[in-house]
Amino acid sequence: MAELLDNLYSQENYLISKKLLDATHLRHEALSNNLANVETPGFKRRDLPKTFAIELRRAVDRKDFRRVKALLPRSGEDRQAKPVRMDGNTVQLDEELLAMNRNALNYEYLSHAVGGSIKELNLAIRGRV
Amino acid sequence: MGMNLIPGVEATGSALSAEKIRLEIIAQNIANSNTTQDASGHVYRRKEVAFEEYVTSPERRVPGYVDENLYLGVKVTDVYDDMTPGRMIYNPGHPHANDDGMVQMPNVDVSREMVDLISASRAYEANLTVVKTSRRMAQQAIAIGK
Repeated sequence: MAELLDNLYSQENYLISKKLLDATHLRHEALSNNLANVETPGFKRRDLPKTFAIELRRAVDRKDFRRVKALLPRSGEDRQAKPVRMDGNTVQLDEELLAMNRNALNYEYLSHAVGGSIKELNLAIRGRV
Repeated sequence: MGMNLIPGVEATGSALSAEKIRLEIIAQNIANSNTTQDASGHVYRRKEVAFEEYVTSPERRVPGYVDENLYLGVKVTDVYDDMTPGRMIYNPGHPHANDDGMVQMPNVDVSREMVDLISASRAYEANLTVVKTSRRMAQQAIAIGK
């Protein structure tokens, strides 16, 4: 029984969109923290490293779903960001808000994708809409 | 525990209260820009707030959480007096004038306070926008599978 349920939840689309949903959630936390620290002297902005998306894509291309499962999104200091102010803070209000809106839209899309997989399962179990 | 239903809510909440404290201090500075004697009998000194990033201490971190530090936003670590001297003006009739007829004025520069006021209220507004976005994300998370 448990194996059956495991299989239900290990569909490829579900796995990938769930992983991306986790990543967007985490990115939102990092971006909120950046905006919270827009006035903190010397604060360095954090973000999800670009390598996460690249690694995920590589794992998906190779159909290595164990790797997809094992990939953990982690946010860290954004070393590319240059300080624009005297105090060394690297947060730029407008860019941060723009990134946040884009990320929230991704979240909306992905939550629909994850929800869609669950809805499909539900349909298969019940056999009717 | 670990992950929150509303993402980033602690950080945003802390920023709203920190910026509010900052706004209050700025208002206090402007209100006292001509106060030559405060409750302690000295000339009013401009106050400033110190912000610091607020990160969970290592012992409070949740093992297995996707990130090693939970972001808690910002905290006001200190409200301190700006010790730069204010200007002296000649006003011998003033009750707080010294023997030479000079009055020590507060070191508040109203135009500087106004600039700080604008940036603090911008930061406050930005964080209010974040609240709305976070809330929408939480609603979408709840609706997954519905």
